[in-house]
Amino acid sequence: MFTLIGVIIGITFLIAVITVVEGMNRYVQDDFAGAIFGVNTFTVVRRSQVQTGSESQEQRRRQARNPYLTMHDVEVVRQAVPTAWRFAYSVDRGFRQVSYDEYSRKNIRVIGASDGYEALQGWDIAEGRGLTTLDERKSLKVAVIGADIAERLFPEISPIGKRIRLGSTRLEVVGVWERQGGLLGAIRDASVLVPISTFRETMAWQRDRIGEITVKTRTTEEMQASMMQVEAALRRDRLLRPGEENNFWLQTSSDLLSTWETINRILFAAIPGLVSVSLVVGGIVIMNIMLLSVAGRIREIGVRKALGATRRDILFQFLAESSTLSVAGAAIGIGLGIGLGKTVDALTPLPASVPMWSIVVSLVLGLVVGIGSGIYPAYRAAKQDPIVALRYE
Amino acid sequence: MSVTNEIVIQTHDLKKHYVMGSETVRALRGVDVAIERNEYIAIMGPSGSGKSTLMNLIGCLDTPTEGEYVLNGQPVQDLDDDELARIRNREIGFVFQTFNLLPRASALHNVELPLIYAGVSSRERIKRAKAALEQVDLADRMDHKPNELSGGQRQRVAIARALVNGPSIILADEPTGNLDSVTSEEIMTVFDALHDAGQTIIMVTHEPHITAHAERVITLRDGMIESHDAPRAARAQPV
Repeated sequence: MFTLIGVIIGITFLIAVITVVEGMNRYVQDDFAGAIFGVNTFTVVRRSQVQTGSESQEQRRRQARNPYLTMHDVEVVRQAVPTAWRFAYSVDRGFRQVSYDEYSRKNIRVIGASDGYEALQGWDIAEGRGLTTLDERKSLKVAVIGADIAERLFPEISPIGKRIRLGSTRLEVVGVWERQGGLLGAIRDASVLVPISTFRETMAWQRDRIGEITVKTRTTEEMQASMMQVEAALRRDRLLRPGEENNFWLQTSSDLLSTWETINRILFAAIPGLVSVSLVVGGIVIMNIMLLSVAGRIREIGVRKALGATRRDILFQFLAESSTLSVAGAAIGIGLGIGLGKTVDALTPLPASVPMWSIVVSLVLGLVVGIGSGIYPAYRAAKQDPIVALRYE
Repeated sequence: MSVTNEIVIQTHDLKKHYVMGSETVRALRGVDVAIERNEYIAIMGPSGSGKSTLMNLIGCLDTPTEGEYVLNGQPVQDLDDDELARIRNREIGFVFQTFNLLPRASALHNVELPLIYAGVSSRERIKRAKAALEQVDLADRMDHKPNELSGGQRQRVAIARALVNGPSIILADEPTGNLDSVTSEEIMTVFDALHDAGQTIIMVTHEPHITAHAERVITLRDGMIESHDAPRAARAQPV
């Protein structure tokens, strides 16, 4: 077992990382882009919220000086895309806690949403109702809460009609969303949605600030056209000269995907280095064990040669032994790696998925390490002179 | 006595020189031997006489510096290591003083070993290995490891291993050197029975009562053959 530790660690690491990365990949591609941003959806924000890694420090500094979005911008965007399928705007902030009676949930997010926000996001109501135009117009103190908050605050009773406390504000719960789950769904499950008018009157830091303006179209082509129209309208409104950079940011799900791709690339670039270090160490350990094994079996080699083993027979015998050792190490590593990946999956919101190719790659690596580290000891064994070997004590 | 006079081993002016530093040691200085099928030969000689060297050459473990060696009709003096390995596998059954069994393998597997290198199929191997173990009266011990067997039993496993591939000669190097006198006689009885069954046996020994089993004694001295004799016991008491 100790012999194989290097190979085991190397392969465990390889499988665990690939499993988590691949799980993330799956998640990002299958659920995430659609669930968080939605297809054919773009958002106007003050500055980029995700780092794609391609922006310079200078660009980030310049973006930090961009003006905050206001209701005026909402109107400019609305008029730029009058035929958009869905249109909404929102502002949000974190709250230390939300409570009901003696129950509370810490670190939550409150979203002040315009009419149509839930429909645009495609969030489904599990219980009660969503926000209405009337709620917004009258700035009613109502809220729709995430599943996680509902569970914490109302473990035994229905939340509908109850009054929760957010800082100094009391809000009546009118609805609960379906649980989203997963890595990023967890954020929504811990959110409270209130009418944007209510938000601005009772809990905004700056009344006139808007966080984001979101536009959803029916097709990708339409989305691209709409983005150009919005960009043109905002530039015109803000009197930007040609050549001057935008002082706002248009964000799509592809921004997030490209961020993920950057992380992905870095991880995949780092894996071979880290894995090969431990495999080389593992290979050296196996080679030394095999050299010891050859030294302890000189006499056996002599006997085998006397009985008719050729050099190649002996070479293959020892190569088979070192390969078996190493592949066994790789197999243990695969098991541990999958276990580690599944543990991460179970204990954190990070998803895990074991791709078949990673198992194949691991076994092949095990075989390569086995043959690579066995070749010198096997060669030493094969070239033994049978007369000397038979007399060896 | 041999019924045919077919020659199994024929050497002509066999020489073996070793270079040790600046000196050349002439271990064999021109040996001519002819051994017929089904002969029972003992090779004797004091240490340094060249008998180990001759045994290594006859056993195809080594090649001569000069001279010719024809084994079962095939000249072998110029073969390379792997060709010699194949010849050993087919033509020679070794029996060693220290048995040289693989310690972690069962008796059956030890006996199978030459057949593995001969490329015999697994089913055929087991059949032939069992038959060889029966021939040395160890059919009931084939699953035992060497450390579960007595010295005599171990040597009988080694003899079965030497026999299993149907070699032209059995080459035994002090086969009773590690055994007490009762067990030695038991092992010699096995060799006698093999000889009676038609096997050619060449035995290297320095014990007179062992040479008494042989039909002919070749005595070496200083790298040359000193005498070809009928054993004293045989002379005194003809079979």
